[in-house]
Amino acid sequence: MKGADRVAAVGVGYSTTGRRTGLTSWQLAIQAAKAALDDAGMTPQDIDGVALLWGVAGPAPGGLDMVDPMDFGYQLGCGPLNWYNTAGPSYIGPAVQAVAAIGSGFAHTVLTLRIINQRLSSAEEIAQGVAAGPTKAVGDWQFTAPFGSVSPIQSIAAMPAQRHMDMFGTTEEQFGAHVVTQRGHAALNEQAIFRDPLTIDDYLASRYISTPVRLLDCDYPVDSASAVIYTSDERARNGRQKPVFVESASYSSVKYMTFENLDDMTQSSPFHAARELWKHTDLKPSDVDCAQLYDGFTIIVFQWLEALGFCGLGESGPFIEAGHTRLGGSLPVNTDGGACNVGRRHGANFCIESIQQLRGEAGARQVPDAEVAVWANAVGPFSGAMLMTAS
Amino acid sequence: MATALGPTAQDSPPQPVPGPLTQFFWDAIARGELHILRCQECGFYVHYPRPLCPRCLSTDLAGERVSGRGRLYAYTWATQAFHPYFVDRLPYCIAVVELDEQPGLRITSNVIDTPREAVRTGMALEVEFPEVAPGLRLPQFRPVPEKGSAS
Repeated sequence: MKGADRVAAVGVGYSTTGRRTGLTSWQLAIQAAKAALDDAGMTPQDIDGVALLWGVAGPAPGGLDMVDPMDFGYQLGCGPLNWYNTAGPSYIGPAVQAVAAIGSGFAHTVLTLRIINQRLSSAEEIAQGVAAGPTKAVGDWQFTAPFGSVSPIQSIAAMPAQRHMDMFGTTEEQFGAHVVTQRGHAALNEQAIFRDPLTIDDYLASRYISTPVRLLDCDYPVDSASAVIYTSDERARNGRQKPVFVESASYSSVKYMTFENLDDMTQSSPFHAARELWKHTDLKPSDVDCAQLYDGFTIIVFQWLEALGFCGLGESGPFIEAGHTRLGGSLPVNTDGGACNVGRRHGANFCIESIQQLRGEAGARQVPDAEVAVWANAVGPFSGAMLMTAS
Repeated sequence: MATALGPTAQDSPPQPVPGPLTQFFWDAIARGELHILRCQECGFYVHYPRPLCPRCLSTDLAGERVSGRGRLYAYTWATQAFHPYFVDRLPYCIAVVELDEQPGLRITSNVIDTPREAVRTGMALEVEFPEVAPGLRLPQFRPVPEKGSAS
């Protein structure tokens, strides 16, 4: 960030990831934190800040153990914290807050986590949740839920996707081209859950959840925790890993918490977040070697491609269809396979994949000589992005 | 099926729970009228209801009747139910309708009694107030014939 002290990411880690892991949120968080500390060559005593976001996404039963940053930092043995925060949305919240805390001198080394414990993972369990159904709609929900707008698939994904098609001529085959492309990347990632190749016919045979959004447009809910450790430029140079630097970051809010009532469904907060991201750097979209763009639903990737300036407004469909986002293309996108294939990490996988690409340790999916990566997270009323560099 | 404990989730979509700022909206719906909160100083409509006008920062707002005419801004056909009321009502059309009164003034609703192929972004719509469950009327929309159209 121009005008701020430089911050680097020096450690990354994942917990066991999957459905029905049987692990509590605390167990997931400890696994990921230990992995990131080990990766960084650090002990808990090196950490003086904790930023995490805990929470299920989707139907939640009672009794899940919540992870609080104060409690977690204490139990982990970090000692007195100089800074802590629970921040959203998704993983961009903890990430940007950590960078801000280090850049401003509140903390020198911050452990960030995104912890998701689904528990309700099977179709049967979700059906039980549907059968119970809420009978009341309070707050702003009274203006949406009575009409059956009750799932994020409908409001975050389906209506914006339909409008993108109607405004710009985007096609379902173009949505499918993205899904097929990132599955191809997942095939090269040993950590991915889904690795079998897909064809466009497989995509078009996938059932609609809410038109034009199909099952294969949705990320895959799993239990997982993801951890990244950030520290100051000076400390990063003495670490175990080659540091990856935060060149720029942004954190946008454009309205209250709504998806149905956004001022513009196809140009929501990512457009603001991207403008701010580029303001804080001399780098340009053409300098980016790979982009890791949040794929909670396919249309979000399309919006980020346009927002970040990798293609013109409304041109993301043809851009993807032309093969630019494939490994080997002009802008490889979601080189780990995306959350549709590695499981829902709410943006953290895109940060970690950026770091691994810039370290040069992405194996079969490595983008040659990757020096600049961007990752982006969330959509609609709130979102953010981070630009990272290898030097 | 209603039980001795009252309606179950199968009998009704999630039922609106009006607050002090939104009671006017549902009272009007029950009478078969669409009212939207409007700034009494500068005339700006505000939806969802909020305690101040984002254009002039006045806190003097009141519900006012609107025409109930608008155009389809965005829509989707829900083909999977995430609430028991909708299980036997698939597919249904969730719609965001931009009201004629003001650019960007939109409400979430449904397009009803319209074949799938006839629903198009930008189409002209008009409100009505069917009773979707015992005691619950909702503002839903159906197409109005365009000038010069064959129908």
